[in-house]
Formats: sequence, structure tokens, C-alpha cells
Amino acid sequence: MSSAWRVTTAVGLFAVAVVGIIFAVLGLLSQPPTVDFTAGHSAGQPVDVTLQTVGSYGSGDHPTWVSYLTESPQGQWVHTTLWQLPAHTRVNMTIYNYDSGSPLRNQQIGQVTGTIGHVALLNGKPVRVINSNAGNGVGHTFSIPTLGINVPLYGNNGNANLCAAAPCTVSSPHQIFKFSFTTPGPGQYPWQCFVPCGLGFLFGNGGPMQTIGYMDGFMKVSA
Amino acid sequence: MAIETTQPGGIEYPGEEAPTPLQPVSRRSEWLRPHAGWAIVGGVVGYLIGHWLGNVIASGYINVQGSGQNDVATVLGLSLGVAGFLTGIGALNYPLAKMIGREPPPAVPEHNWVRYFRMTEDHKVVGLQYTVGVLLFLFTGGLLAMAIRTELLSPSSHVFGPGIYIALVGEHGTIMMMMASSAVVGPLGNWLVPLMIGTRRMAYPRVEAFSFWIFLAGYGVILTALFFGGFPTGWTGYAPLQTQASGGMDSYLVGFAVIGIGMICAGFNLAATIINYRAPGMTWSRVPIFVWAVLATTALLTLATPTLVVAGLFGVLDRTAETAFFVNEHGGSNFLWENLFWFFGHPEVYIMALPGFGIVMEIMPVFTRKPLFAYKVAAAGMLGVALLSFFVWQHHIFQSGINPDMRPLFMLTTELISIPTGFLFLVALGTLWKAKIRFDTPMLFCLGMLFNFLIGGVTGVFLSDVPVNVTVHGSFFVMAHFHYTIMGGLIFALFAGLYFWIPKMTGKTMNKRLSKWHFWTFFTFFNLTFFPLFLVGILGQPRRVFEYAANLQTLNDISTISAYCLGASFFFFIINFIWSIYLIPHDAPDNPWDSRGLEWQTPTPVPWFNFEHIPVVLSDPYHYGEPDAPPVADLGRVLVSAGGAPAEAVGHGDVSPPGDGGDLDPRPPIL
Repeated sequence: MSSAWRVTTAVGLFAVAVVGIIFAVLGLLSQPPTVDFTAGHSAGQPVDVTLQTVGSYGSGDHPTWVSYLTESPQGQWVHTTLWQLPAHTRVNMTIYNYDSGSPLRNQQIGQVTGTIGHVALLNGKPVRVINSNAGNGVGHTFSIPTLGINVPLYGNNGNANLCAAAPCTVSSPHQIFKFSFTTPGPGQYPWQCFVPCGLGFLFGNGGPMQTIGYMDGFMKVSA
Repeated sequence: MAIETTQPGGIEYPGEEAPTPLQPVSRRSEWLRPHAGWAIVGGVVGYLIGHWLGNVIASGYINVQGSGQNDVATVLGLSLGVAGFLTGIGALNYPLAKMIGREPPPAVPEHNWVRYFRMTEDHKVVGLQYTVGVLLFLFTGGLLAMAIRTELLSPSSHVFGPGIYIALVGEHGTIMMMMASSAVVGPLGNWLVPLMIGTRRMAYPRVEAFSFWIFLAGYGVILTALFFGGFPTGWTGYAPLQTQASGGMDSYLVGFAVIGIGMICAGFNLAATIINYRAPGMTWSRVPIFVWAVLATTALLTLATPTLVVAGLFGVLDRTAETAFFVNEHGGSNFLWENLFWFFGHPEVYIMALPGFGIVMEIMPVFTRKPLFAYKVAAAGMLGVALLSFFVWQHHIFQSGINPDMRPLFMLTTELISIPTGFLFLVALGTLWKAKIRFDTPMLFCLGMLFNFLIGGVTGVFLSDVPVNVTVHGSFFVMAHFHYTIMGGLIFALFAGLYFWIPKMTGKTMNKRLSKWHFWTFFTFFNLTFFPLFLVGILGQPRRVFEYAANLQTLNDISTISAYCLGASFFFFIINFIWSIYLIPHDAPDNPWDSRGLEWQTPTPVPWFNFEHIPVVLSDPYHYGEPDAPPVADLGRVLVSAGGAPAEAVGHGDVSPPGDGGDLDPRPPIL
């Protein structure tokens, strides 16, 4: 075998390896889209963010997984939990909960914390704590641990005809939560649901609870 | 096993005649015979069949319907994929032929490059297959390490999500541990042990080849975890997270079990070979120290690894058949996994460390031109480490809920193991004492290994103390410690061994300048990468978490940039290897280091039957610098001189000229 042929072979195999590695890295970098709330935002003005929770997403790789969805500024529901927000800005959050609820294992997360006024509006009525042992219980929480924010989401009656495929509309049974908080300085802040709601997983902690785009995500705050 | 070395006249040499190469019998076309291509095809077909079968079986299960995750299908797919891979490579041909009463054709030595893609009974080919396989593992694990360090460049800006990050950490750890468990025993153990003990073959050559190909199949299985969402447990796979995790956990459990089977096969094959196939005169006090290290390691491989395989099977059953071995609420115990895992996991540390020490102690006498200091202490130290390693595993779970009263006991046993380990260190230092050291690349890597292992070992003694362990458990301090022992110890020793033995293994000479560039960059950036991690660990940075305190960024960035340079330093080796072996090869002499080791007394390249005549071993190989040193062995026609070089061709019945000067043994020849 000539030296030229050997060099060609070595370079060819090297190129194949590099291409394979690039594909693998790109595969690892893939994640849900980020909804950008900074475009067109005027300094000092609040940002409105609207989310919904659904008991089962209804399609895709994991149709039975519970999930959050985000409404883009253009009014489209996007299957993501990643947002871009401006720093030091008031965020007016609205969450439509279309899922049922249950008693909490830890009553601590039944409290509303970290929001402006330490209060949330449940269907227009202010609440500071939800007793999950009464009524429909708590379905999920919206929590940003690093900011101390926790809002329990009161559940719907499990016997009702609940929405089973996202995106849900207000024609299905739902609860509406409104609250506000202020974004901190630039950085990435993880947020998640603290209620073990991954049905089919041991203690409800697997699957969607560990997956970005379903029950946890990131608030990317930029200057 | 000792022989009468003063026996006059001829000696009956077992296997006197060199085996005549078998003539190829009528065979199928080369491309129809089993090879790696068919193995890949078999693996893919096996996976598809298994996955289909799993869907048939379990698609109606409540927890499977519509979830997008069917663990039964994944496990069956991976298991049958491995079976298909092994079928494609021809691992089942021999036993199946025997089962149906047909006599398989005898193995025929092959001399073309295709033999490296086949099951082979030549231990030297298997050794080189393992070498490339281990380097592939190392390269893959290294790329994952680069990804991890990239994520840690910033405390709060992220490249990957937390799920991807922990998946990368777990994948990196598992691949590296799998690689490290075979890093020395696989390539150098298989290649060298028969040559070092003077035999022509392994005890079970087909098992040896099987151990490599199943090792490679395990690599494929564990890589699939990335396609199934990774696993969130790190390499330790703790329950109950193990039971909750997504499909990547199936790859982890099946992959570890598959690799474990390979480790067991490699272990008992090497043990059987060392115990039963030593050449005449190769008494236990003449066995090379590297072989002692491999023997001690095989005890660990065969006794500890079955625990891992069984634990993996339990985990698979929990995830597929709804058993509850590790599920507390259903009568099982997650501590069962922790104990089973670490009962394997701590001996695993010595599966990695002992062969490294064996290499270093084998190489140092060559470059110090001194006998190995306290040979018997070194052998005893290795056996002592191997024995004690079964009694320390609970120090890994000091913080995981074990009975606090048990902690002092395991703290004591862990500290005790530092005594035989200290033996090994002192043997190395004693060999260096007042030596005129030749600073060739293998020796540099040996010295680097001793430096790194000292830091790793001393911090290990700290960690064995419960109060310190409580403080730094789960931090980067622990991570830095075991990287200093495994990478700083084992990988440095592996490179020492590769640079030392590659001329014999390949018949080619590595470029010295590139080799030394490799060492110095590797050593420098290894320490710059991992030493800062001791500091960030003490300052509280936890392992497996992709965010950390902002004040630790500088140290993390030093580590990350150094890690890039460390990764780049591997290219010195890869370029050197490809350049020297493949592109512009230079033939190596038979014994370029003037070693007395038996393996160096063979021609280069080593013939397929290793020795023309089975050698009669006359002394241990460490009599460097001794004017009256006895010859190492009688190879039937060559007496090996004290200096290591073949002294003179001597036929059976001939008499070597007495007192002819040079290094030839002046005593009457032993023929």
C-alpha cells in the first residue's frame, strides 16, 4: 500500500469521525424552542406571559406525559418551557391549569411565596395558601427555586371531562391563576413543577418531571 | 514447578518442535466468514427483533400505553442486539458446531489485516484489538469530558440543559469505568501474559476472543443510552432514581451486565493461563511482577464482577417485570443496589490500579538498570490489596444511610488498605533509589504515575476518615481524588506500557520527540485540570450539578481550559501512533530497551506460536546491573544474557564458549 493511499485512508477516516462527532454534539444541543418576550419590549413596561398545563400532551414521543405549554407573543401555543425575558422587569403571569389535582405529600408547597405581594389570584380571588386536602387538591406548582417563587395550582375535578390533548382551550374545565414577579439580573434560572406528577413513573418522579419542555424549564433573563 | 538447573546434558523440552502452521482448509469466501461487518448486521437485526418482540409482549401494559417508553422492548432489543452481534462475529460457531456433533475446523493463522476484525485464537491479535477498543472508549469518554467541562465554563450560562448535563456525566463516567476496568488487562494482559510466562497460547483462546467482542458490544449498548434520553444517576446508578429513569437506564443496566460478562471471561481465562501454562522453570518467585498484578486483578474480576452482573439483572427486572428488588415500598431496598454495586465497585478501583502498578514495577528496573526492589513484598502487596479490597466497600455509602456504628469498622479497613498499597509505592521508590535513570518516555510516564498516585492516594486516606468524608462527600474533592488515582494512575501507567511494548506489539518504533511532547503536555495539563478541582470541592462545589457558586468560576475556567489542552495532548499520541505504525513506519529492533523480560527475547514481529521452543526459565527477569546474573531463560537456541540482549545462538547439545566476555553467563552453560 503506497504512502499516498495510507494518508488518504487516514484522512478519510478522520473526516468520518469528525462528522460523526459533530452530528452527535448537535443532537445533544437540540432542545425545545425558546419563546422570546424581549423583542419589542419597552423598558419599564411589564411582560405578560401565559402558560397552560395539560394532563397529557396527546401527541409526539410522549403523548401521555403531563406538560406545560407557553403562549408566544404572537398568540401561538408552543410546546416549550424555555423563555427569554428582560432583566429587572415585572412579569405578569397567567396560568391555565387543565389538569386534575390531589393531596400534596408536602404541605409546604401549598403556599404562595415569592410573588409580588406574596399572593396569587385563583379565578380572580386572592389566595396565599391552598389546602390540598380539600376540594380538588393541587395539580402542579410553578416554582423558581432560586427566586423563592412557588405557586400551587389548584386542580380540576378529576371526574370532569378534562382536556386530554394540548393545546387546550377554555371550553375544557380549567382554573386560572394570575400573579406577578420581577425578573432578577441576567442569567438562566431553572423553574419546575414540584408536585411529583409523572404518572406511570415510580413515585411520579420520572419522565416529564426530568424533561425540559414538559415539567421543567429555564427562564433566560437578558440585560 | 522448579527445575533442576544444573542438569547436565539435554533437557526434554515440552513442545520441542515449533508447531507447523496449519494449511488453510477449504473455506467459504473471506467476506462470507464471520467478521465485524456481519457482527454489526447481526446486532442491528437482533435489536429490531428484540424490540419488536418487546412491543408484542408489553405494548398492552398500562404504564407502556402511549408513554413512548417500553422498557421491555428496549431491554429485549439490546439483549438480542448483543446476541446478534456475537453471532455475527462467529462467537457461537464453535459451541453450536460441537452441540450438533460436528468438529469445527482448526484455527488457521491469518496474516492479513482482516484478522483484526474477526474472532481469533491468537492472543496477540486480541491484545491489539483490545488496545484499539480501549482507545476508542477513552476517546469517546474524553469527548464527553470536554462537553462536561464546557458546560462548567460558566456558573449560570448554559450550553446544555440539566438533563443533558447529567446524562453526559453518567455516560462519561460509565464509559470510562468500563474502559478502565479493561484498560490494562485487556490490551497488555492478553498480549503480554503468554509471552511473559513462556507459553504459546491462552488457556481458553476462544473465551479470550469472546471477552473482547462482548466488551465491544457493551460499548455499543452503553452508547445507545444517549439515544434513549440518557440516565440521571451518574455511573453509580443508584435506586430509586434508577427505577424512575427513562429508557437510557436500560442501556446502562444491560451495558454494565454485558461488559461484566466480558470481564469475568477475561479474568478466569487469564487466571487459568497464569496458573497452568507457565513454562518450565517459571516458578512463582520468577513470575514477572506484571503477571502477579494481572493475577491479583483476575481474582477481583472473577469474584467481584458477578455481583455487578446480578445487580444489573435485578435492576432490569425491576424496570421490566415489575419486581421490587430495589423498591422500598414494595418490600425491596435501594440499599441492596448500593451494597451490590459497591461490593463490585470498590474492588473495581483495584481492578484499575493494580495492573497500573504492575506495569510501572515491570518497566522501572529496565530504565534504572537495577533489580526490582523487594520483589516478594511487591507481590504480597498486590495480593494484600486484592484481599482487603473486598472489605472496604461501605466507605462509599457513609453518607447514604448505613448504620453509623458500622462506619468506624469500614474506616479502619479502608485505612488498612493503604498499608499494602504503601508496599507497592515503597517498592517503586526502592527501585529508583540511587539509580541512574534513563528518562525515556515509558519511564517518564512511570514517574508521572507515581507523582499523581501519591496525591490521589493521600487524598484517599483523608476520604476514608468519616469526619472528612461527611464534609466533602458528593463534592468535586471526591471527583478530583478518583481522577488522580484512575487517570493519574492507570492511564499514565497504560501509556507507559504502550510506549514500552508497542515496538514489540507492532514491530514499529514510535517517534521519540512526539512521545515526549505527549508526556509533558499530558502531565502538565492533567495536573492543571484536576488539582483546582480539589479546591472547588473543598469550597463546596457539588458533583453532577451543572450550576455552581459564581466565586468558583475562575478555578473552574482554569480547569476547563486545561482540560481542552489535556484532550489536545492525546493527539500527540494518536498522530504519533498513526504516523509511526501506519503512515511512515520504521521497523523496531527485537529488544530496543535492553530488557531481560522473556517477551523481549522473541523475534519481532512475534511469530504466531510465540516461541520456537517452549523456553526453560532460569531466573527472574530483574537481575539488572548484576555481573554474575544468571540467564533469564533457555529458549532452545538462545541464552539470554544478564544485560537482556540475546547473547549467542546456541543449539541444543552445543556448548557455549566459557568466558568469552561480554554479557554471557560465565558459568557452564545450561543446556
